[in-house]
Amino acid sequence: MDEIKNFSDEQLADYVRHQDKEAYFEIVQRYQNKLLRYVSTITNDEAKAADIVQNVFLKAYINLNSFNHKKKFSTWIYRITHNETINELVKYKNETPLLENMDFRGGDDLETDFSKKEIKEKVKKCLISLPFKYSEPISLFFLEEKSYEEISDIMRLPVNTVGTRINRGKKLMKKICQTMK
Amino acid sequence: MSNHEIKIMDSIMDRIRDDKVKMKPRWYFVLGSIAMIVGFICAVIISIFFVSLISFSLRSHGPMGAVRYQELIDSFPWWALAIAVFGILIGSLILKKYDFSYKKNFIGIIIFVIFAIIISGFLIDILGFDNFWLKRGFMNKYNDQNHVQTVKMHGLGKNNINN
Repeated sequence: MDEIKNFSDEQLADYVRHQDKEAYFEIVQRYQNKLLRYVSTITNDEAKAADIVQNVFLKAYINLNSFNHKKKFSTWIYRITHNETINELVKYKNETPLLENMDFRGGDDLETDFSKKEIKEKVKKCLISLPFKYSEPISLFFLEEKSYEEISDIMRLPVNTVGTRINRGKKLMKKICQTMK
Repeated sequence: MSNHEIKIMDSIMDRIRDDKVKMKPRWYFVLGSIAMIVGFICAVIISIFFVSLISFSLRSHGPMGAVRYQELIDSFPWWALAIAVFGILIGSLILKKYDFSYKKNFIGIIIFVIFAIIISGFLIDILGFDNFWLKRGFMNKYNDQNHVQTVKMHGLGKNNINN
């Protein structure tokens, strides 16, 4: 069973499909922490996040045969998580602060103001206050360290839109964080 | 591991071990894809037919135009419509519910398909493929009958000439 620890995610998914369903344990172990963090930053509710992540793993297992092992497993499971989280947010729309119409204009290039590491810490504190459409790509980019291309796959958005949302989100976050101080 | 993580792990693995959750078989997803593709192809056939029909009706045509127009309408591919509806319905029921597929450029695909349909519809009409289809295809028998009727209607039969 130790051999599976060296498997890539894609190999592991194949192994679960064809050899041993018990190896799904390893997939859950690899992803539960990441997914919990990702969903928690969006929902701001750990208990709800745990329920969502549990559903994600169940759905991923049930539909594991639809996974194309030539593609990235992480993108696939994050896509399921994205869908599941959206469904939950729609269900509990009134409870979740979705500040969709909130926007700020900022002319400066914030890439020079923040390094990625500095942002990572600030992101955790300020992310909750951001509108959902900005908080999700920012969480994926800075916390989950996904590329624009991967975020585009997960959110089904063009790469340019992902870039725009991340940039706007950063500007917006700066404003929000400044007012928080 | 936090409490949440332990709870998630135990809950999932217990359900898998007890067979309370089962993996959907591979053929299930293959079936969904095939149904969708076949349905889509049939939808394209119908669309091309419509574009060809519209193109024909927009053109000025002679005294046989009405007959040919009726022939085109009579040759409407109902089988394609039925397959398109069932295929897309079954395909979307299977795939959309479990829509975890990877990002595709749907806008690009849609624009390409619309252009392909319009261009092929007009080409079919302009190049006269619809005539070819009507004469050579399964409509041949129908055309023969239709021709006989037309001949009788206009009194152009061999007997009439002799008389």
